[in-house]
Amino acid sequence: MSAVDTWLTIILLTVATIVTRSSFFLLGHAVKLPPKVQHALRYAPAAALAAIVAPDLVMANGALQLTWANPKLLAGIGATAFFLTTRHLLGTIIVGMALYSLLRVML
Amino acid sequence: MSNSQASTAPETTVDLEKRAYREGVKACAPTMLGIGAWGMVTGMAMVKTGLTLWQALGMTFLVFAGSAQLASLPLIAANAPVWVVFLTALVVNLRFVIFAAAIAPHFAHLPWHRRLWHGYFNADITMALFPRRFPAETVNQHEGKVGFFNGICYSNWMAWQGGSVLGILLASQIPESWGIGFAGTLALLAITIPLTVNSAALVGVIVASIVAIAAASLPYRLGLLLAVIVGMTAAMAVDTYLDKKEKA
Repeated sequence: MSAVDTWLTIILLTVATIVTRSSFFLLGHAVKLPPKVQHALRYAPAAALAAIVAPDLVMANGALQLTWANPKLLAGIGATAFFLTTRHLLGTIIVGMALYSLLRVML
Repeated sequence: MSNSQASTAPETTVDLEKRAYREGVKACAPTMLGIGAWGMVTGMAMVKTGLTLWQALGMTFLVFAGSAQLASLPLIAANAPVWVVFLTALVVNLRFVIFAAAIAPHFAHLPWHRRLWHGYFNADITMALFPRRFPAETVNQHEGKVGFFNGICYSNWMAWQGGSVLGILLASQIPESWGIGFAGTLALLAITIPLTVNSAALVGVIVASIVAIAAASLPYRLGLLLAVIVGMTAAMAVDTYLDKKEKA
């Protein structure tokens, strides 16, 4: 891509961010969503995060890796156990990364 | 405002928002390491795709959307038409429309330029942390919301941009095999757990995970969008079912 095209792309990507993120913010009171949709939206954060996390834990290079030789899956399980017992977020990231690095070398 | 009354007068709005801001910063702080790591991976990817230093910096500070940036990079490298890159980013970002629908009602009373500003910052972390403090029932209450929201958003922004700039500058020094990006996944994993507050949410999480994995090969990260919609719907269905059973 030429420099001009690259900058044009960057500007358009900025527009894509604003159009989506600010969409309902800009609509304000103009749109009232039906109660059913509002109800479903309460579960949006958990569903969205799970949908980002799960593939990274069990997939490698586009293929399912549901095995004990998958360091990310094992580190994820370890990190989950750590969080459930301690409720410490930063500690979970550190322990998870340590586990992941260790397992990657070992497995 | 007179200082002599400060100790006895009820907390002013400014103080309340400041306190809420600090609360937001505190809520976001433990995730910053993970977010920074994620930003770093994105920063490195931009430079490795062949963006110049200024283009990479411009992209991170203007676009501020990791998944759309990562999706656009191979297209930029392959010289794809500009409008194709734009449409791809738009589709990758569709989950933000759902996030906006969930959060925007809390700020509907503000003038449009402030709504635009807040919307720009409403990313994954904000969406995860804000409703825990201010659930949907509090939509008509305004106190502390802007402060708390900004506290999360600006911490998230700093962590992301800090990591991203570091990644841009160090792109050639850090081997990809270190897997730093996994820290971002771990941060999100740890936030998902407390969000799983009831059996409906648990079903939502499981369904969304399965759909996301099964649909991972769909283009434009449509699998992610599909997973959010199906997971959300499944959780609501369980909720409605349990409600009916209780009433019966």
